[in-house]
Amino acid sequence: MADEKIAKPKASEEAEKEEKGAKGLTAEEIAKEFREHSVAEFFKKNMQMLGLTGKIKTLTTIVHEYVTNSLDACEESKILPDIEVQLKELGDEYYEVTVKDNGPGLTKETVGKALGKLLAGTKFHRMVQMRGQQGIGAAGCTMLSQITTGKAVQVITGTGKGKPISLDLTIDPKTNEPKMANVQEVAKDFNGTIIRAKFKGVKYVNSEQAPLEYLRRTAIANPHAQITFIEPGGEKIVFKRTYREIPVRPIEMKPHPKGVKVDELSTLAKYSGERKVSSFLKNNFDRFGDKAVEDIAKNVSFDINKDPRQLTWEEAEEVVNQFKKITFIAPRTDGLIPIGEPQIRKSLESIVKPEFISVVTRKPSVYSGGFPFQVEVGIAYGGNAGRMGETSEEGQQQRKIEIMRFANRAPLLFDTGGCAITKAVQSIDWKRYGMKDYENAPLTLFVNLISVHIPYTSAGKQAISDEDEIMEELRLALMDTGRKIFTFIGFQRRLAEKEAKRKMFYKYATEVAIAVAELTHKGKKDIEEKLHALVLKHLKLEEQKEKRQDAKGEMSEEEIEKEYEKRMEREKKENDKKAAKKGGKKAVEEAAEEE
Amino acid sequence: MAKEGKHYAKDTEVIKKLENIGSEILKQIEGQKNPTYTMPIRTLGNVFFDQKSGTIKLGNKTSDRQFLNVAHSRKFMQTVLVASEIRKVIEQRATVSIRDLYYALKHTIEGTQENTFEEQGESDPVIEDIEASLDLLREELHLAASSKGIIAGDVQLRDGDDSIDLAKMGSGGWSVPSNVEPENIEFKKVNAEYVLFIEKDAVWRRFNEDQYWKKHKCIILTGRGQPGRGERRLAQRLNKEYDLPLYVLTDADPWGMYIYSVIKQGSISLSYSEEKLATPKAQFLGLTTMDVEKFKIPKEVTIRLNALDVKRLNEMGSYEWFQKKEWKQEFANMKEKAVKLELEALSKKGIRFITEEYVPDKIKNEEFLP
Repeated sequence: MADEKIAKPKASEEAEKEEKGAKGLTAEEIAKEFREHSVAEFFKKNMQMLGLTGKIKTLTTIVHEYVTNSLDACEESKILPDIEVQLKELGDEYYEVTVKDNGPGLTKETVGKALGKLLAGTKFHRMVQMRGQQGIGAAGCTMLSQITTGKAVQVITGTGKGKPISLDLTIDPKTNEPKMANVQEVAKDFNGTIIRAKFKGVKYVNSEQAPLEYLRRTAIANPHAQITFIEPGGEKIVFKRTYREIPVRPIEMKPHPKGVKVDELSTLAKYSGERKVSSFLKNNFDRFGDKAVEDIAKNVSFDINKDPRQLTWEEAEEVVNQFKKITFIAPRTDGLIPIGEPQIRKSLESIVKPEFISVVTRKPSVYSGGFPFQVEVGIAYGGNAGRMGETSEEGQQQRKIEIMRFANRAPLLFDTGGCAITKAVQSIDWKRYGMKDYENAPLTLFVNLISVHIPYTSAGKQAISDEDEIMEELRLALMDTGRKIFTFIGFQRRLAEKEAKRKMFYKYATEVAIAVAELTHKGKKDIEEKLHALVLKHLKLEEQKEKRQDAKGEMSEEEIEKEYEKRMEREKKENDKKAAKKGGKKAVEEAAEEE
Repeated sequence: MAKEGKHYAKDTEVIKKLENIGSEILKQIEGQKNPTYTMPIRTLGNVFFDQKSGTIKLGNKTSDRQFLNVAHSRKFMQTVLVASEIRKVIEQRATVSIRDLYYALKHTIEGTQENTFEEQGESDPVIEDIEASLDLLREELHLAASSKGIIAGDVQLRDGDDSIDLAKMGSGGWSVPSNVEPENIEFKKVNAEYVLFIEKDAVWRRFNEDQYWKKHKCIILTGRGQPGRGERRLAQRLNKEYDLPLYVLTDADPWGMYIYSVIKQGSISLSYSEEKLATPKAQFLGLTTMDVEKFKIPKEVTIRLNALDVKRLNEMGSYEWFQKKEWKQEFANMKEKAVKLELEALSKKGIRFITEEYVPDKIKNEEFLP
């Protein structure tokens, strides 16, 4: 549960505004509220705030929470994940969700913690790249099931030690403690966990934001996992494992001082085991050397040898202000684990089935001075790439672009327009790469942003904020991938065109040879052979000419970067112009327009 | 078909020219050069009005048709095919229609689903390209367009082995063949003072029924719309060989007047052979829009000009050979009044008004447009 603050999980914008306007609750305050009021009450009141806004979205969120838990558990135990998700329609807007994995399983003690206690296991500010919870967490699902159906969540789990157990789980809304009933041993051997939960007020449709698409994308971003989906109609869809290596677990990193906020520093200090503020800083932050300690000591109004647990809010504020002034070495980036170019390629091949694929994993970079991140882009073109668009008048379905957004391998299905990934895609001049109408092309764009701290635009965690450095990396990755794939496609197209030309010339050569033979009383075969030789020679010359032009036309990495800089400059000018207009200063406006 | 020695000599020369096309291309193929067929451009841009001859002539701009050019390749193939087929026709001493030629050449290209020619509209222009580039008449290539013109008058001629009396052709008249070259058609007796070239078949029949040619000692001829080469060549020969004036009678609209201009100075697409087809001395008898007032033709039989008429009129107004002041006046009047008039409209004034009053009056008063 990491760096997420449950204070603002997945909210609709209004709900978020309302909440911010009210107070801006912290995690502890929310937790306190949980205790003081009934947890169930809180749930009911804050359904929207908890990401349970739409019937379709809620179901997708539930699937996400369970599948994420399964993937994490498997990876932690070095098991290749095999996950099966089944949806059954029990009634009107009433579904049963079953998620089965082959993970390490849960003990009787851990079952309660994982599935029956809200906020359990929440560690504050964990600097590690992880899929992350998007809404209510698995325990939240238990609570949701309970308050919408009155039924317990059924769990079967086996750890490999002793017999697997089966039990019914609920949460006591007063105490936020798990309650287990019908605990039984299961005779059959089983390693893994099966969770079966019922929900009302949810709905399954086959849309871009529904569980099927969520699982398809999860499978693409997790090529080491095999994911099976049994939809309510009974149809079974298997996304096969394409890569047999379990990804390296990302390393937990200390926060970099440039990315720390006052409340975070203050909380970290409160739970610190260090005796002095100076050692607390040195040991808890990345790239924090003696020089920085000296600088801080000189410039703050208190003694940095004091007990960090005694650090006041104002003092923490002073420290954070000093962080801003000090130059730190950029944060470590070795904690980031990308999916990898060959893995993404295989995944796209197997699941998207396009004609062409190009994948680029960029080098890690840093945003806001403190957060390492990395961008991976895959472009799939032709074949089954893209999604089905509207049916044309001739009854043909046109394929349209499909943008798959991921944050640490977890698919982002909502808030498309507000996301940096979408903006980056739209900002690129695809025509330069020979894509005239990229929105109506059989095109799948796969974009994965990896970071220890994904900057979401809102607590809904469905859109990435357009930080300058992230935008730049996204754009460079897209341009690089785009250039590679479309150059290749262009090459393929030219080959095909050349072959079509040869065939055409050969076809007419036969007729020309017959007629010329008749007119000249010479042999037809000899003339035809000479014509063929002529055609081949001509095509070769043409090809050489094209190659020379290509050599001029193709963009190098440098050129791409240059183009990017030019564009940024242009955008900046435009923004300045806008700003000038807003200011209403006529002179400035005119000057800007003259540019 | 009986041929004279002179005729055979001509055929041999034509065959030689056609074979040259083949050997030129073969030379290029053997030299591993892009096979190219050069021919004059046959569009308005390469056409001029030759004041001296009084006909439209082809300029000296040429274009290249190349085998190794995606846009030309198919046409190049068609050109060689047409050349070869024409040679075969001449060797067999036959004359075929251009439609025959199209069917003779049409076949599916081996190993494909493509035909050498899809429609006659593809082969006809290729034939014209060959005529223009070899500077030969269609007739010299033993090709004929379907004949459609008819003629009547006190004329006797020899057509091959047959003697024909154009005064004894009854109500149907004699059908003008496509090839009226002196080798094929020889005039034996021509008893006429002028030739009346009538645009429309129905009007020609009125003149024939009324025995106009007998009463007025003339020859009546129609091309049934835009005249073919046979009618035009025949009119030219009568004009040149017997010095007979040629009067043209058409509708008073841009299309009728253009027919007159084709008879007189030739067409743009056949500009390469107009010296052999056009009759520069031809005169326009009518109808004109000026006639409406002059002959007191009731307004209700006139037709309003439509947008297409006006467009065509403007185009024609820009042609070099329509720059005489009389024509400028007529065009201006037509545009101003915005009317056109069909020959049949004269029937409003009586069925025989056209044969008994209009045409005789005009000829008597020599009221012609140049």
